Amino acid sequence: MSKNDSSPAFMAGLEPLSRRSLLRTTALAGVAFTTGCARVFGRKDAPEQLEFVHLTEDEVRVITHLTVVLLPTERHGLPSSTETIPTVQNLDDMVGQMSPQTRELLGLGLWVFERRPMVSFKFSRFSKLDREEATRYVHAMQEGSFFERGLTATLKALVTLNYWRDSRTWPALDYWGPVTQKWGVRRLGNAPLPPV
Amino acid sequence: MTVKSILKGLPVTQASDVVDGQLDLQADVVIVGSGAGGAVTAYELARQGLSVLVLEAGPYVPSSEFTEDFTEALEALYEDHGGQTNKAGDLLLLQGRCVGGSTVVNGCVSFRTPDFILEDWQRDFGLDNLTPETLAPYFERVERHLSIDDNGEHEIAMHSRLVRDGAKALGWSVKPFKRNIRDCALTGHCLSGCKTERKQSMLVTYLPWAAAHGARIYSDTRVTRVLEEGGRARGVHAEVIAHDGSKVADMRVQADMVILAAGAVQTPLLLLKSGLANRSGEVGRNFACHPSMYVSARYPQPVYPWRGALLGTYVDEFMRPEKGGFILEAGGLGAAEMCLITEPGTGKPYLEYMQDIKYYSGIVTLIHDHNVGQISWQDGERKVIDYDVADSDFPSMVAALRAAARVHFAAGASEVFMPTTAPLKATSEDELESVLAQLENAPHTLRLVSYHPQGSCRMGADPASSVVAPHGETHDVAGLYVADASLLPTSIIVNPQVTVYALATYIADQILDRREQYFRLKSA
Repeated sequence: MSKNDSSPAFMAGLEPLSRRSLLRTTALAGVAFTTGCARVFGRKDAPEQLEFVHLTEDEVRVITHLTVVLLPTERHGLPSSTETIPTVQNLDDMVGQMSPQTRELLGLGLWVFERRPMVSFKFSRFSKLDREEATRYVHAMQEGSFFERGLTATLKALVTLNYWRDSRTWPALDYWGPVTQKWGVRRLGNAPLPPV
Repeated sequence: MTVKSILKGLPVTQASDVVDGQLDLQADVVIVGSGAGGAVTAYELARQGLSVLVLEAGPYVPSSEFTEDFTEALEALYEDHGGQTNKAGDLLLLQGRCVGGSTVVNGCVSFRTPDFILEDWQRDFGLDNLTPETLAPYFERVERHLSIDDNGEHEIAMHSRLVRDGAKALGWSVKPFKRNIRDCALTGHCLSGCKTERKQSMLVTYLPWAAAHGARIYSDTRVTRVLEEGGRARGVHAEVIAHDGSKVADMRVQADMVILAAGAVQTPLLLLKSGLANRSGEVGRNFACHPSMYVSARYPQPVYPWRGALLGTYVDEFMRPEKGGFILEAGGLGAAEMCLITEPGTGKPYLEYMQDIKYYSGIVTLIHDHNVGQISWQDGERKVIDYDVADSDFPSMVAALRAAARVHFAAGASEVFMPTTAPLKATSEDELESVLAQLENAPHTLRLVSYHPQGSCRMGADPASSVVAPHGETHDVAGLYVADASLLPTSIIVNPQVTVYALATYIADQILDRREQYFRLKSA
């Protein structure tokens, strides 16, 4: 019944951006998120074959750097978050499904995240910080104002979910994923009508 | 009419079935929403010979199409594709948005309304009709229909056994859940819908039963306005929306009665949009939602939080308000959810946490929150859920966190993570108080999820302070009923599905008692 903006759960932290009037306040009335992120996850393409259609070059740079900082998989024997699992590409596909308002908010959030490093980071762009500094910056944002906390939580969620959603990451966790078909569980059908 | 059981699936008219741009339908009763309240009233009225039409805004997704992938389920089965939040954006409100509503995606937990809650309702809202004695036969009826029973020992998975062990070590009351399930397959994928129809959701019980008695069900149909004439509800306007977001048809339904059962967010929005039943000014107010947190902990041994029945046991030691007003529920989760639910740090600590995720277990906290929220429209276009945890409720939140952490430590956990946006954990019970002292009731501090929106069209005897009369009809508009969790005058601490089933059955009985005043062509 409502014409609410339809953004995935983990986008909630972007909400303060609109409340802060960084965007026009009516921006979130929305177009339905009609074809969902569900069907764009789990693609098997190798990252080098992929093109980023929906994210700008600057945004790809920020997200890729954040992926490397959040998911340094090569040091943990996990499928690479940049070379095996197309984390950033998955996110690019997801962006293509977002309502214009959510897309605009995400763009603004990434713009702010990239340029937020202040004095203690020598006013560098986030994507230019080395890993150690970038990690320290993420920590600082998590301890910051409510807006910074919300933005960082959202971006972390976007990146990590787009990695762990891929079933190739599950064996390392011993996660069993969907099981009903694997186990051959019988369907029961509808419950019988209650006796009169 | 011949009544024949529908063995599998459901006869639903979907947007893809609609060819005319204008649909004009008639029914004795049109019901908005197909979840706990809508499905029950549909069946109870259809089996008495009334012509019933059920309109559901969400899609029809048969059980066979459930994927057991939570993020896909969010997209397909949940309101706003799982993105429904409060105004501040720091509380996620998960509601089903599909044929069967939230009953399709809940964890099957089945509680009767606590007696002390019903006593509050009698004392504070004049609901003398809703005594434990009056409601007992209604609870018994839905429990029988939905195969509600205590979890057997095989349904108490490792994560729930740990909670039981911890609570017992502390001398606290702990019980197995009752659940509405037949022969649980122990897949742990309840929140993504039950693929084999074991969860006794409305999708596989009351809706096919209603259809067997002639009820018609439309999915993809968004009601935009309730029609009223001379103080009587006369039907609804709706739009049939295709899955690509385009409008397929306008619908006009003429009916002698309208029952709103779209849930505690959508029902008040529809009333506000329609400009009805709000003489009291209370429509949309008094919203509560049981803001809950997931307190995860690491154990020395593997727990595999996704294995077995999702919800096995609960701690009710603190349920009564004078003891704290909260409960703790042992809850499992899948890998995708676990990657979001806890903040262990960035980079190395995060990956170490995920690599050890099978060693983690969790407890869900539910509190008896005050009705401080409000549902409204912004600019007539965008819904607003204005709800923040009240300062008066924050001590309960902290008490629930403390109790959950103590249960974990008593069960042998080596560290307990606070559900915060920044990393915060306790590695022993001795550390706990200093960790809890760091918490504050501020935006984007705690990771909050609500599964139980309620209370936005409260029921009460006084038309000046409530929206709906004790028999379920709005005070202001004859023939306009409400039968969902928006009725609840206070939050009820426990999972509300059985309360809604029982109230909806009760309200259906009230309607049938008054049928001659509404349905011109039908007699008892």
